[in-house]
Amino acid sequence: MTGSAIPETPLYDRQGSIRGYKLNKMAMSLGRPENREAFKADEEAFLDSYGLSAEEKAAVMSRNWHDMVALGGNLFFILKIAAIDPAVMTEIGAAQAQMDHADFLKQRLGKE
Amino acid sequence: MAEIIGGVGTSHVPSIGIAIDKGLTETPDWKPFFDGYIPGKQWMADKKPDIAVVVFNDHGNTFFLDRVPTFAVGVAESYKPVDEGWGPRAVPDFQGATDLSWHFVDKLVENHFDPLVCREIEVDHGLQVPMELFFGRPEDWPVKVVPIWVNTIQYPIPTPQRCWEMGKVLREAIESFPTDEKVVVMGTGGLSHQLQGSRAGFLNREADEAWLDGIANDFEKYRDMSREDYVEQFGSEGAELIMWLVMRAAMNPKVELKHRHYYAPASMTGAGMVVLENA
Repeated sequence: MTGSAIPETPLYDRQGSIRGYKLNKMAMSLGRPENREAFKADEEAFLDSYGLSAEEKAAVMSRNWHDMVALGGNLFFILKIAAIDPAVMTEIGAAQAQMDHADFLKQRLGKE
Repeated sequence: MAEIIGGVGTSHVPSIGIAIDKGLTETPDWKPFFDGYIPGKQWMADKKPDIAVVVFNDHGNTFFLDRVPTFAVGVAESYKPVDEGWGPRAVPDFQGATDLSWHFVDKLVENHFDPLVCREIEVDHGLQVPMELFFGRPEDWPVKVVPIWVNTIQYPIPTPQRCWEMGKVLREAIESFPTDEKVVVMGTGGLSHQLQGSRAGFLNREADEAWLDGIANDFEKYRDMSREDYVEQFGSEGAELIMWLVMRAAMNPKVELKHRHYYAPASMTGAGMVVLENA
């Protein structure tokens, strides 16, 4: 089972895992406090130490949750970035759907 | 021999844990969700199990993509909450039911399963939140745990049928375990949600309600569904529901649905639980 025949639903398969490995590895490391401190102290240097590409760095540094996933980031790893620089889950979800947050809450989650 | 006193299916959404940590359980957003668990908590308090087998998935907290076990079993003496990026949560360590864990590992391998066996490992919200929902926040947990990790993050994830087969082995292990301990089996995850892709925010309340009704005595269709069916009906992350099948397969073909609760959305997820007893 690779890819997905279901529209708008990427499965986290080998292509994503291979493509996003460095990005996810960087994000995974944020589970340790000393790495969070290093990230906060000099974000770009921290990303460089994991060998991220310019595109990956730009996505992380602009907190572009859509592009991070498009580049192979898996949400469960990259959520650790949202623990350092707080973003709420539904905002990250809205970014995936490329929708305005209020519209996303209303149309997808049925919240007024 | 040890005895299965019941099976529980429940959500393990991380924001449930955050709501407890921040004291938000009585707010309008959360109160209906938590109120629905009161009968389940009471059931657990009445039944007084000695051991909880918790079937859950790690969410990129304990396992990275460098090594992805399809199934893993904890055999540790205790399990600490893992740091998910905010620092470890202030929940008590979980004591391991070490002997039952090893016995289960034996039975798995005898039955041609090949689990990763974990002697030293931490647990994320996938185990923490179900424990909090059914046991509250005691100073010490009233049960020991057998953690079972199922990979639902990186494809290929196991098939629903394989989860079902594992549940049958789990039952065999518990019922051949030479103590008189009482065991509750908790299948966790779901219900419908999708966090990635442009279908993010997908909820399927109808499918969730049907699942909560059907997992008791109309389970065959869920056992026989493909992974693609799960993703289509419940969303890419809602496919976690395959882990409830481990619990369901450990029960009798005929069960009594003692409690049932549904609430959506909890954060971005259809949420709820069932409590089952063998009929």
